[in-house]
Amino acid sequence: MPKKVLLVDDSSTTLMMEEMILKQRTPYDCVTAKDGLDAISRALVEAPDLVLMDVVMPRLNGFEACKRMRLEKSLQHTPIILITSRGEEEYVEAGFQSGCNDYITKPVDGYELVTLLHSYLGE
Amino acid sequence: MNTPANTLAASSTAALKEVSNQARVYAARMRLQSAVDQADALDAIRDIAGNLIGSEELAVFKVDKRRSELWLYWSFGVDPNKYAVLEVSREARLNDVLSGKCVFRLRGSNENLLCCDDPVSALIPIRIDGSTVAVIVLFRLFAHKSGLEEVDHEICEILSNFAGRAIEPHQSK
Repeated sequence: MPKKVLLVDDSSTTLMMEEMILKQRTPYDCVTAKDGLDAISRALVEAPDLVLMDVVMPRLNGFEACKRMRLEKSLQHTPIILITSRGEEEYVEAGFQSGCNDYITKPVDGYELVTLLHSYLGE
Repeated sequence: MNTPANTLAASSTAALKEVSNQARVYAARMRLQSAVDQADALDAIRDIAGNLIGSEELAVFKVDKRRSELWLYWSFGVDPNKYAVLEVSREARLNDVLSGKCVFRLRGSNENLLCCDDPVSALIPIRIDGSTVAVIVLFRLFAHKSGLEEVDHEICEILSNFAGRAIEPHQSK
């Protein structure tokens, strides 16, 4: 069965771009969510193999969503990659403190994204 | 060493980069073309600048009828009081933009595209029926982004050709 990736972003543009890249260059299935709260409920239902999530979102941001996912038994070990527009050290540190495994910066580079996902999910 | 495995890896990397670039350009075009009204078209410009190019500091200026001044129409992430008006006579690069060409800051260049303190990365004409009706100014890029790349230039051309709805609400998609 193909591995499943949950893509989380309030930007439909970003979701469209990420889905296009993953569908064309990986064997993974994609499901999407549009904010942090939506992401948690989708993750509990879909049980994704990896979560790729934006930080700045309405209702619940990526840091908080990441923290809450880690409180759920079924999501404690799911790799979570955060997408941030800032590469500064303190911002990245805040991401790791929220429980994420990795981060990438915007604008998302397809090569970097696929390479990172392969490292967690295999090819 | 140039082994068959290395060659295959290099071609795979190139193919992936190509897919990635195509996805960014396609997503930009779809976002602009699906804008439901003027406010959504302006949000599309912000969305594309932030998520596909890498700038959260931008402004849209409308061109006046005599084409001598540009008036601030909308901005995001910049102080609007600093940029109420751009005078064409004081800004040499604006003539190129008004003629319909995108103008980009070269990678590593210290030259600023406008006479202002904030670094300007690109000047993008918004064209309707072949005429420049407004200009998008992209200011500072994200700190980790060293400059605009070829694919960013393509996305700016998409903005130039399809962002008219942000200025003229009745502009057809």
